[in-house]
Amino acid sequence: MKETLFLKNTEAFAESMIRCGIRGHFAYPITPATDVMKYTARKLPEVGGRMVQMESELAVSNALAGYACAGKLGATSTSGPGMTLMQEAIGFMAAGELPCIMLDAMRVGPGDGDIIGAQSTYYQATRGGAHGDYRVIVLAPSCGQEIVELMPVGIKLSLTYRNPVLFVVDGVTCQMTETTTFDDPYDYTADFDTSDWSYTGADDHSKRFLLTGSYTHEQGYEMNERMRRKYEEITEKEQRWEQVEVDDAEVLVVAFGIHGRMCKDLVANFRNEGKRVGFIRPISLWPFPNKAFENIPSSVKSILVVEMNHGQMVDDVRLAVNGRVPVHFLGKTGGDIPMCTLAEMSCEVSKLLEGE
Amino acid sequence: MQTLADYYGETLKFDKLYNYCPGCGHGIVTRLVVETIEALGIREKTMSVVGIGCGGFSHHYMNVDAIEAIHGRSPATAIGYKVALPDHVVFTYQGDGDTSAIGLHEIMHAANRGMPITCIMVNNSVFGMTGGQMSPTTIPGQVTTTTATGRDVDIHGHPLLVPEMMRAMNGVAYLARESVVDAKSINKAAKSIRKAFECQIKGLGFSFVEVISPCPTGLHLKVPDAYEFAAKETLSYFKPQVFKNALENNDEV
Repeated sequence: MKETLFLKNTEAFAESMIRCGIRGHFAYPITPATDVMKYTARKLPEVGGRMVQMESELAVSNALAGYACAGKLGATSTSGPGMTLMQEAIGFMAAGELPCIMLDAMRVGPGDGDIIGAQSTYYQATRGGAHGDYRVIVLAPSCGQEIVELMPVGIKLSLTYRNPVLFVVDGVTCQMTETTTFDDPYDYTADFDTSDWSYTGADDHSKRFLLTGSYTHEQGYEMNERMRRKYEEITEKEQRWEQVEVDDAEVLVVAFGIHGRMCKDLVANFRNEGKRVGFIRPISLWPFPNKAFENIPSSVKSILVVEMNHGQMVDDVRLAVNGRVPVHFLGKTGGDIPMCTLAEMSCEVSKLLEGE
Repeated sequence: MQTLADYYGETLKFDKLYNYCPGCGHGIVTRLVVETIEALGIREKTMSVVGIGCGGFSHHYMNVDAIEAIHGRSPATAIGYKVALPDHVVFTYQGDGDTSAIGLHEIMHAANRGMPITCIMVNNSVFGMTGGQMSPTTIPGQVTTTTATGRDVDIHGHPLLVPEMMRAMNGVAYLARESVVDAKSINKAAKSIRKAFECQIKGLGFSFVEVISPCPTGLHLKVPDAYEFAAKETLSYFKPQVFKNALENNDEV
């Protein structure tokens, strides 16, 4: 039986992770992610789980690593400065091939920044802030319903590839309250047997130990080569995006998260006027959906990337387009309205349609 | 002929080359932990979470699962593991740099949380692996590669007394400082390490044992001189004692 709830999207994240089988949530209060831990603190004990409030995001992320070592999929939720503190352990978990689910309720940076929503951690999410050649799978839902739909996807990705999976949701979307429909609870984590790699005591196997360093240079090389092959497989298989009205478009808008959601109205408005505008909304930010740009039609004269930052994903769009079409950028971060309005986006698209 | 395996059982692991320097006190502390695990019969469900530094080698000589955690973070990692598997025995094995410099935050909150895990802090008063730099527990006047004229407390502060900081925390069930500077001290250290693990198994709370241990390489001393330095100089500042023992209270009940 499906159930429709009226929830803040941070709560929708919490509810969906509980319904999908996650029983361990580690967190530290930080706006605008705190509602997740408030929700799980109340709800997880009802199903035999636990929210563990730690003393810092450093401790949160390292406890999450310890939890994952036992072969269990845990979660965390944070924002801006908290995400920065977690980089150390995210790199560690990627190196140790430990699964976990994370939420970055993105806010304005840098430094302490601002608590209002932003998309300014695109670089941090997709490039990572720790040392080494590692990757984190990044999913960018654009509304509460998509958070719910992507949760099983994220869990499967994390356990299939034994890799951290990060949901990035701008703080504006996080704090919206929406009607969201949930499927019946189903423990997706139970579909995966972790006993062949988890560290659960040397009772049914010989000694195992988690090593993210190396004792010989050759071991370090092999570890990196193994990870490289895994990342190549993910890049090939796991690109996700939505595209609308691309086939005959003159101008393509590319945006993720809330700006991606606004593209629906933007494109519908232009199409009503008979103007040929389409959009591509990346859903996986890593791997970036390069395939969406491989076959853009020859009708496309220009591309506009819209972000709640000063231009981060635009780099990936330019790499994907590789000079075939001019790529323009419109972006804003911070302020009382911390994003571009539909009117501003329309104005920019109109200019491009007119060839300005 | 009796072999070492006959004596130590399954927990002590022999197939890895020995990484500790000659005369290092870590070898003794590692053996004491191995003997405890063997005696308590908990090898199959024990997890060793080791820090970065020479203490990180300790699990090589133990037939137990292990996590080589991030520098200083092993108490947090151990807590996450214990949340996942509460019936398992989890201990950290860390040096003084790992525990009291970069990891002070995690160890103090782990102690205060009182979750039943065991933390062993091997204090040799220097950063040993990186070649003998000052650590928070370097004693006043001690010459290291970063305190060429000796630790000056006006600049570097006083040595950090970690168990003393934990004393007032209600979550701490077993708290002791021991040493391995002579046979008598080693016997006392063996008892404290065992009691610390017993506290965890009985679910009484957090347990912590600091063990003063000589680092001949980091101190640039011959082995006997390093033991003498630890016995006289280090122990004059870090006084061995059992601060707390919840097992006694528990036995009375």
